[in-house]
Amino acid sequence: MHERLSFYVHRDSPLHRLNPLTKLTMVFAFILLSFGSPWYWTPHILIVLVILPLSFIGRVQREYLLTAARLIFPAAGFLFLMQSLFQPIGQTVWFRWWVLEVTHEAVAFAFVNAARIIVMVSSFTLLLLTTHPSELMSDLTRRGLPSQFAYVIISTLQIIPQMQAKAQTIIAAQRSRGLDTQSSFVKRVGALVPLVGPLVFGSLVEVEERAIAIEARGFTSSHAKTSLREIPDSRFDQILRGALIVSVLLAFVSRLWLS
Amino acid sequence: MAIVTLQNVTYKYPLTEAPVLQNVNLQVNEGEFVAVIGPNGAGKSTLCYTLAGFVPHFFKGELTGIVEVAGVETHQSSLNEWVLNVGLAFQNPFNQISGAKYTVFEEIAFGLENIGVPRGEMKPRVEKALALTGISDLADRSPYSLSGGQQQRVALTSILVMEPKVLVLDEPTSQMDPIGTREVFGVIRTMAERGMTVVLAEHKVEWIAAFADRVVALKDGQVLLDGKPGEVLTSPLLEEAGFGISRYTSTARKAKEMGLWKKDQLPVTLEEAVEGFRS
Repeated sequence: MHERLSFYVHRDSPLHRLNPLTKLTMVFAFILLSFGSPWYWTPHILIVLVILPLSFIGRVQREYLLTAARLIFPAAGFLFLMQSLFQPIGQTVWFRWWVLEVTHEAVAFAFVNAARIIVMVSSFTLLLLTTHPSELMSDLTRRGLPSQFAYVIISTLQIIPQMQAKAQTIIAAQRSRGLDTQSSFVKRVGALVPLVGPLVFGSLVEVEERAIAIEARGFTSSHAKTSLREIPDSRFDQILRGALIVSVLLAFVSRLWLS
Repeated sequence: MAIVTLQNVTYKYPLTEAPVLQNVNLQVNEGEFVAVIGPNGAGKSTLCYTLAGFVPHFFKGELTGIVEVAGVETHQSSLNEWVLNVGLAFQNPFNQISGAKYTVFEEIAFGLENIGVPRGEMKPRVEKALALTGISDLADRSPYSLSGGQQQRVALTSILVMEPKVLVLDEPTSQMDPIGTREVFGVIRTMAERGMTVVLAEHKVEWIAAFADRVVALKDGQVLLDGKPGEVLTSPLLEEAGFGISRYTSTARKAKEMGLWKKDQLPVTLEEAVEGFRS
């Protein structure tokens, strides 16, 4: 089957039904809260009590936990290790070994930073898993995002896999004519040269044709665009967005207050 | 009533010396199906782009003479107004897929969204267009997962749904197998029968002979012949000028030299040849 560059999992859940802008607001609110809140445990609480339950509400817990186990936690773990070992802060030394010095402060700092990274990547993962890219873009276009910008994002998502397939075809064609792509590193780098020409110039020609094709369908028309998809924006969505913004503001204000 | 008028049209692409179209005069009546034939480089594509407004609005360059569609002159119009009257589909179906949509249904609605058709009107129009080209069963598929023939029909449908007055097609079957060709010609024929004005640039003379009302032969950017398919496609001028001609025509011409073909009129299609040899 045709492959495409999208994480979207088609399911029916309250999270899927939320307006895309609400979910986007949620992502940025979580990130800002985990960085801006004056309370040390904020990012950790967000992960355990908000993001994890949300993945179940969105019925994408399997996909989310897989991504978390394969990508998010290993990356955050690596960051935690590096910062604990090399962060030159703090007096309370836990242990010393060779040039390494692990202090209580460095570990605490690393622990909150790792959690922040997890919040950041996790909330984006949840957004992408539960929001169809064209739904996100048409909602943002309706709210004033230039349609050219939305087009570039969406078409790139679809066209990159097509270009990969084309690159494979060109490589196969060159190999059938004796191009060496499997021996030493230098030779393999050299093998890229005859690939780049056809791929790049071919793509430039394609861009012109595609421009003609979408122009023939009124892409730059001066009429206000309409949308086939109806994207609900309920009262609940609006309240939720408001609440998220207020909580971020509160976090920042209390931080200023306390400092 | 002429819906398309070209008067002394000469056009030069930017950065080139020689004009691609020279003194082209052409009239297409409302509801007529005109086929344009010509060897590679004769200016068929450029003629299509001119009719569709991409010359001069998209390609720039130097256009002289008068190009008029539905009473509007090309210089006095903008491309995004022009495309509402003239729909264009061309060779490579892959490059005509917008890339912005995930299903065929949405792909076809793309043009309607762009020109601001209200949502309530959009659905029935897309459904009607899908039924017309016989691809209703593809509505939920990804446009990229289709075969070439299916993609070309999607490209055609996404133009037809915008209901242009004139349909311009630039070799829509050039990269297609016989099955794909039959599918696409079937759609074009339906459109012509419904009274849409069609201008089709195409090499496949047997199909043209069967469907077109008129044939225009282009050579080096000039109109060489313009007339009924039976006359133009069997003219001895065509072979001299390097056009691809029907094998039935060349067979019958040989047969005529040997006294085996009795009629004056040479055939273009298999049916005409069979009938002629029988009599």
